[in-house]
Amino acid sequence: MTWVGRPVPRREDARFLRGEATYLDDLELPGLLEAAFVRSPFAHARLGAVDAGAALALPGVVAVLAGSDLDVLPLPVGGVEGGVVADAGHPVLARGKVRYAGEAVALVVAGSRALAEDAAELVEVDYEPLEPVLDPRAASAGPLVHDHVAENALVRWSRVHGDPEAAFAAAHAAVAQSFHIPRLVAAPIEPRGAIARHEPEVDILTVWCSAQDPHRPLAQLGHALGRDRDRLRVVVPDVGGAFGSKGAVGPEVAAVAAAAVELGVPIRWTEDRTENFLAAYQGRGLDADVELALASDGRILALRAALYADLGGYLYATTAVAPHTTAMLLCGTYRIPAVDVEVVGVATTKVPTGPYRGAGRPEAAFLIERMVDIAAGELGLDPAELRRRNFVPPDAFPYQTPLGWTYDSGSFERCLDAAVELGEVERRRVEQAWARAEGRVLGVGVGMYVERAAGLWESADLRVEADGRAVVRTGSSPHGQGHETTFAQIAADELGVDPEAVEIVWGDSGEVPPGIGTFASRSVAMGGSALVVAARELAARATQAGLSVAELAAAEGGVEASARFESGLVFASGAYVAVVEIDRPTGRLRVLSVAAVDDSGRIVNPLLAEGQVLGATVQGLGQCLVEEAVHDEEGQLRTASFADYSLLTAAELPAIEGRFVETPSPLNPLGAKGIGEGGAIATPAAVANAVADALAPFGVRHVDPPFTEAKLWRLLR
Amino acid sequence: MTRQIAVDLNGLVVEAEVEPRLLLSDFIRHRAGLHGTHVGCEQGVCGACTVQLDGAPVRSCLLLAVQADGHTLRTVESLAPGDGLHPIQAAFQETHALQCGFCTPGFLMSIEAFLRHRPDPSEDEIREALAGNLCRCTGYRAIIEAVGLAAERLRGA
Repeated sequence: MTWVGRPVPRREDARFLRGEATYLDDLELPGLLEAAFVRSPFAHARLGAVDAGAALALPGVVAVLAGSDLDVLPLPVGGVEGGVVADAGHPVLARGKVRYAGEAVALVVAGSRALAEDAAELVEVDYEPLEPVLDPRAASAGPLVHDHVAENALVRWSRVHGDPEAAFAAAHAAVAQSFHIPRLVAAPIEPRGAIARHEPEVDILTVWCSAQDPHRPLAQLGHALGRDRDRLRVVVPDVGGAFGSKGAVGPEVAAVAAAAVELGVPIRWTEDRTENFLAAYQGRGLDADVELALASDGRILALRAALYADLGGYLYATTAVAPHTTAMLLCGTYRIPAVDVEVVGVATTKVPTGPYRGAGRPEAAFLIERMVDIAAGELGLDPAELRRRNFVPPDAFPYQTPLGWTYDSGSFERCLDAAVELGEVERRRVEQAWARAEGRVLGVGVGMYVERAAGLWESADLRVEADGRAVVRTGSSPHGQGHETTFAQIAADELGVDPEAVEIVWGDSGEVPPGIGTFASRSVAMGGSALVVAARELAARATQAGLSVAELAAAEGGVEASARFESGLVFASGAYVAVVEIDRPTGRLRVLSVAAVDDSGRIVNPLLAEGQVLGATVQGLGQCLVEEAVHDEEGQLRTASFADYSLLTAAELPAIEGRFVETPSPLNPLGAKGIGEGGAIATPAAVANAVADALAPFGVRHVDPPFTEAKLWRLLR
Repeated sequence: MTRQIAVDLNGLVVEAEVEPRLLLSDFIRHRAGLHGTHVGCEQGVCGACTVQLDGAPVRSCLLLAVQADGHTLRTVESLAPGDGLHPIQAAFQETHALQCGFCTPGFLMSIEAFLRHRPDPSEDEIREALAGNLCRCTGYRAIIEAVGLAAERLRGA
C-alpha cells in the first residue's frame, strides 16, 4: 500500500485533544524561578541609571539584571546575497539607548511570575526621550537610530538587468503606483517563552524554547552567550503556533539563558500577550513605488521598483530576508526582460520586523499583481488575458528570472485556468454587471503567486530496529504542521512498513542530528527528502542482500542510515480568485468567496495540505479585512491587544474552495515544493484586485490594505 | 493574605490556600497542575482558557480562583475517560480541526456546552458559537465541520 498521497488523519492529535500536550509553560523543573522584564515606555530614548533598590527589597525577589550586568554579545545579524547589511544586532538587554517601546531594559527574577511583575514595576529607569523615527520613506533625513548607520539605512540591495531605461523610453504605455503595506503581528495563540537551566558540574546550559526548531536558537544563543555548541542544548517542546515569529530567538530568551548561568538557578520566561504584541518581531511593513513598461499587445517590457522596508530598531538574523525576498520575487509568474529594483531597509524606532507567514512573498505578489491589474485597466485588457500574455511558459523551466533566482518548474496558466473555473469567474462577471445596474458594488480579482520554498539542507537519522520498528530523527521540527504523520507516511512507503511502526523524534538538539529547521515551507521538501535518502540507502542495502529492510534489520539486530539532503530553491506557485462585495451605505467589505489553486508539487497528505491552505488563506483574509499594527506619532503601538488587533473568527469566514495542481519539483526525490504559505501570499493580492475592481466605477484605481469600513466608505462618497 | 477555597475540579474536590488575586486559569494550571487549560491573552478575548463553571463555559483568565470556591469546574481533562476520545474530540481528529493544538481545549469546552444546549445546530449557529474562540492555524472551516459531525453523532448516541 502507498501512504504518500493519502488524506491520513493526524496520529499526534490525541495528546492535543486530551489536554496532554506539553507546551513551554507546562514544563515542571525543581526550583524553577520566574522572570519578568522591565520594558521601555519610550520608542527612542537615551538610557540612564537603572535603580533596582525597591524591587530587590521585595521578599522573594532574587535578582534584577540590566544590560551592563550581563557579559553577552548582541544577537547575530544575518545577511542577504548581494546586499549590504549593517551591524545592528539586537542587544540582549538595552545598552545606552532604547530603540522601540517595549524593548527589554532589565530582567527581574523572582519566586513567581506575579512577584516578578510586581518587582518590575518598582524598578526605576532614567530615560532621556529622543525624537522617534517612524516613516520609512522619510527616515533617511531623520535623527540617527544607530550612530554608525548613515541615513538609517540598515540594508541596501539593488539589481539592474537588461536595459530598463530604454524599455521605458520606447514603451507604448507605462503605469506607476505607490504602495503602503502595513506591519502585521504573527500572533500565535501561544506566545513565546523559554526555560534555561545551567548545570555547573558539567557546564551544560539547557534551554527549552518555544521555537520553530532547536538549531537556530542553538546557533544564535551560542553566539550571544559565547558558548560552544557542545555546552548548549536546546529542546523544543510542543509549540502553540509560530508562523515565522519563533524562528529567530528573542533577546528575552538570551537574557534568561545568561541569567540562569549567572545566578545558578533555573529560570522561566512565559511571554504574555501584551509583550508578544510589543516585543515579538512583527511582519511586513513595506512602502514601494513600482512602474511597468508595456507594449501595445500587453507584453510587460520592464519593471522598475523602489522598496522602503520599515525594519525597526535592530536587525534579527532574518530581518533582512523578507525585503530581499520581495525584491527577488517581483517578476512573479511573468517573463519580464528588463528590471531595475532597489531595496532600502530602514531603521525606525519600532519593534524589529522579521518573517511572518510569507515573509516577503505576500508583498511581492501584492505589488506585481496589483500592477498587472492596473496595467490591464490602462490597456483596456482583461486582467486574466494580460496575465496569459506574460506568463513564463511551461517549456521555459528551469527559468532564471532577471532578478537572479531560477524557478525549478511550474504550470502558471494551468493554475489560472483552474482558479478561473473554481472561482466561477465568468458567472461572477455576469452577476457583477447585474449588481452594478442595481447600484451594488461587486468586484472580482485574480492573484497569482510564486513562492520561494525549501533550499539549503536538512538532515535525517533513520534506525530500523530488529523488531521492524523505525525511528526517524529529523532536523525538521513541527509547530502544528503534522510532521509526526507526514514523515511517518514517507518512511512507511520507503521502508514498506505501516506508518504506525514509525516513530518521529524531533526538537531536542541532544537527540536529533544537526539541521536547519521548519520555515519557508521547507519541511517536506527538505526534511522529508533527507528521510527518503536515508531510507533508500537502507533499501539498497536490503536489496543487495536479497532481503526486505525489516528482514535485514532482524538479521543484523537493527540497521541505521543518516542523510543530509541539499538542494537549490524550489518554487511553489498558484492562482487565487476572490469575489467581494462592498456595502454601499457603510463601506463594509464582505469577501463572498475565495478559490485557491496551489501548485506545491507532489502532496504527501491532502488533508493536512488543505489545512495549510485554509489556515494561510484566512490569515491572508485577516490582513485584508482587519489586521494592521498601528503606531502613533510617538511610536507607541496602538494595537497591542486582541481587542485592538483583531483576528478573524469563525463567524466571518467566507466560502473557501481549494484545488491542487501537482507539478513535481525536479530538485528532490519527493517532487515536493511548499504548501505552508500560499494562502497568505495570494489572498491579499486577489482580494486587493477584487476591491479595486469593485471600486473602479467610482474612479478608484488602488487601495492599500486593510480594507476597513471607514477607508472604503470614504472612497464610495 | 490568603483564603481557603474548595473546588470540585473534574469530580475531585481540590482544597487550597490562595491569594485573592490568583486567576482561576493560574489556579487550574499551576496549583491543581492541570495543564490542558491554556492561557493565550489574559484578557478574555482568545478563549484558549475556556473551562466550564457549573456547566457553563467561562474564561478562566477573567475569574479569580476565589470566585470558584464551592463551585464545580470541568476542564478538557474531564471530557474523555480512559484513553479514548469524546465524540467531539474524535470529530476534530477526523476533520483535521486542530494544528498546533494550543487553542483546542478551549474550543472543546465551548463546543461541549454548546451542543448540550443546541444538539441540532445550523451552520450559522455553529459559527456564532465558535466566534468566542480564536484559532490562528486552521482557518476554522474544519472546526465548523467537526462540530456538525459531532452533533450528528451525539444525537445518534
